[in-house]
Amino acid sequence: MRNAGVIFKREMAAYFNSPIAYIFIIVFLALNAGLFMTSFFLQGQADMRGLFANLPLFLIFFIPAVTMRLWAEDRRSGTFELLMTLPMRASEVMVGKYFAALAFYMIALAGTLPIPIMLALLGNPDGGAIWGGYIGATLLGGLYLGVGIFVSGLVRDQITAFILGMISCFFLFFVGLVPVAMTIDGWIGGLGTFLQTAFGLIPHYESLQRGVISLGDVVYFLAFTAALLAMNAHWLEGRKHG
Amino acid sequence: MIEVRNVSKRFGQTVALDGVSMTVERGEILGFLGPNGAGKSTAMKIITSFLAPDDGNVVVDGMDVSEKPLDVRSRIGYMPENVPLYTDMRVQEYLEFVGRARGLSGSNLKTRLSWAVEACQLEPVFKQSILELSKGFRQRTGLAQALIHDPEILILDEPTSGLDPLQIIGIRELIAELGRSKTILFSTHILQEVAPVTDRVVIINQGCVVADGRIGELKQRAMGSNRVTLCLDELPDNLEAALTAAEGVERVVPLDERRFEIFGSFEGDLASTVAATAREKGWKLNELHEDPFTLEETFIALTKEAQSGRVRA
Repeated sequence: MRNAGVIFKREMAAYFNSPIAYIFIIVFLALNAGLFMTSFFLQGQADMRGLFANLPLFLIFFIPAVTMRLWAEDRRSGTFELLMTLPMRASEVMVGKYFAALAFYMIALAGTLPIPIMLALLGNPDGGAIWGGYIGATLLGGLYLGVGIFVSGLVRDQITAFILGMISCFFLFFVGLVPVAMTIDGWIGGLGTFLQTAFGLIPHYESLQRGVISLGDVVYFLAFTAALLAMNAHWLEGRKHG
Repeated sequence: MIEVRNVSKRFGQTVALDGVSMTVERGEILGFLGPNGAGKSTAMKIITSFLAPDDGNVVVDGMDVSEKPLDVRSRIGYMPENVPLYTDMRVQEYLEFVGRARGLSGSNLKTRLSWAVEACQLEPVFKQSILELSKGFRQRTGLAQALIHDPEILILDEPTSGLDPLQIIGIRELIAELGRSKTILFSTHILQEVAPVTDRVVIINQGCVVADGRIGELKQRAMGSNRVTLCLDELPDNLEAALTAAEGVERVVPLDERRFEIFGSFEGDLASTVAATAREKGWKLNELHEDPFTLEETFIALTKEAQSGRVRA
């Protein structure tokens, strides 16, 4: 754990050593909170559903932008060789990088916390839905980050990592949509429903967003993320033989 | 101690290493020579466990690199050819990061940090961003990260690449000094860099070891003879016959009207033999000196020898 902690600190410093981190956070908040506040005053309802409902689509662009550099940048600059010859396991380096990216995302997400405080002051919001929404947003971000870090390892170029990350996250989003599942079912009976339940994140995310925190939904996100991280660790070991 | 045992490595159709074996004894400095693309960096990446060999194995201090990579890595300080630096960090932050990643902390980290900074003369740029550093300082920062944990073994891949002459001398002196207490394997394709630091070299070409030994022995093996340059004021008639009659002289090659290269066996003092013949024959000497083969000539001869051997095989 100490080793992963050293890498975590280095990665956090990398985010905040450049102005890009601050720009990311500002754009994240301006778009999410800005769009939400516009509809909030029109609807006049004390809930945050509008904000959380947009996240699965919005994060498809935001998360790959955070993860695209995770391995691709190290491979380009040669620091990958430094990291892989330190006396620590490749999986420890990966865990440090992953949790730094997750922490960065959570800092951006924490920027929306004034909204529930404002809601509590103005009305009587459903606390369960807000808690569920934040837990869902964290798990969703964690899953997209898992996709992003895995994809970043496969390529040397950051832009390619960004585009591949977007496509992969979009796949998880897209197959979870009911109309998409029905259309695919129309072509090959049962395939759309299978893809929706096996891979699609929307059904799991929506129930969390309603404040229903079921074990099945949490396990879906955690298991998928763990599988992606395990594949990333496997790639890190396997590339030695390349 | 590093033992590379019959290591082979392919990248697709390209053979990077083909049955390479070599040993670096404890406390020894070994110069690892070869042209660009010979396989030096690949061998170093395998020793440091960055890459795994397709065949063969590497043993460092009695431990197989593929079985105990973490133990081996903790004993090695490694400076890859492409110096791995985080350009968003300051020199101090970077060295502290590598120190922590290598298990140092507290006062131990501080002590090692100040030692590495002093040894690599990084004081003027210690607080500076790595992005702003000159090539020389970047190279020295890379060397400092390899030294920060006081490793027993140093693997330096082209440590003087791209430096100016003064910086090259500085790095050479540092390597020679470190070699008093550490096992060092350093690679270069610039041959003159080896002799001031060590006389033991391994020469690699096209993935194969073509020579392994002391520089003097290799010259003898590659060139097969010693060389003396002779210049006379007047050209005598019987020069070639008189010289080849002397013991140890093998052949005389004219360079111009009055200058000759004389080749002879390594046993005995060829220059004294030529001087004695000149005295005996009453020749007027203008110039007589030993003209040792350069490392470049040796290198070319050895690599040609290896290539022709392969063709024959």
